[in-house]
Amino acid sequence: MSDESHEYNVKVDWSHEKIGYFTVDGKPEVEVASPPEFDGPEGIISPEDLFVGAATSCFMTTFIAFTGKMRFDFNSFSCEGRGTLEKVEKGFQFTKIHLRANVTVESEELIPKAERALELAGKYCLVSNSMKCPVEHETHVTIR
Amino acid sequence: MGMTEDPKYYSIKVNWDDDKGGEVSSEGKLGIKIVRPKGDESTPDMYTPEHLFVASAAACFMNSFIYFTRKMHIELKSFECEGTGTLEQVGKSFEITKIEIKSKVVIDSKDLRSKIERAIYLGHKYCFIGNSMKASIAYEDEIIVE
Repeated sequence: MSDESHEYNVKVDWSHEKIGYFTVDGKPEVEVASPPEFDGPEGIISPEDLFVGAATSCFMTTFIAFTGKMRFDFNSFSCEGRGTLEKVEKGFQFTKIHLRANVTVESEELIPKAERALELAGKYCLVSNSMKCPVEHETHVTIR
Repeated sequence: MGMTEDPKYYSIKVNWDDDKGGEVSSEGKLGIKIVRPKGDESTPDMYTPEHLFVASAAACFMNSFIYFTRKMHIELKSFECEGTGTLEQVGKSFEITKIEIKSKVVIDSKDLRSKIERAIYLGHKYCFIGNSMKASIAYEDEIIVE
């Protein structure tokens, strides 16, 4: 990535009750709503899901970027993110995000490389670095 | 603003599906395909984690604002907003340092204006996601009577 700045534009349109849509030019529209615990409907993505999803997916894309730089292949990557939203002085705020990633590689000698790429991904994940709360990483690399 | 003060948990799963990207999903909800941002070469029809981050702030402002309009029993004709996040280098890494949110609220009577202004103010103040980000959030709001 170059060191110039980049801009990300998102449009949100309210539809009815506690439901709306967000979209970015050229990308599919996504329905978004207040989560059920704040009186929203079941089964629709909430901004809280997007926030945790942004950190979890950024960890993946950063990991992929480092595997490219380090020139090695991996077989699979999956990650579970869990965000904790808690009441603080000024309303609710995310106080913690826990990421648990599972990576599989072809052979024994790739394990330390994958571990290093995961460590660097945790450090350079720009979405996590843009959040106030700490982001914890738990990583497992196995041979498949 | 919540019903109880218990912490709430949000679980998300991300699975890598090919060499470029993956899918973000939460149980029982629609998955979102995402791809690695790569400047202008990025796959134009897929989201990036950066877009999800900006979308979370803009959509949370909508929810927060709508919550207060309901609480104050005000009807509105429409609401839309646009969020723009700026990603910049900070030290050795990158961060989203600024988010601008421009909103447009349409109401049918000018008598509602001061109430809407109040709901907008509270919507900014209690936006959970905005309050969870390091970036400063600059709001610009427009109220239209039609």
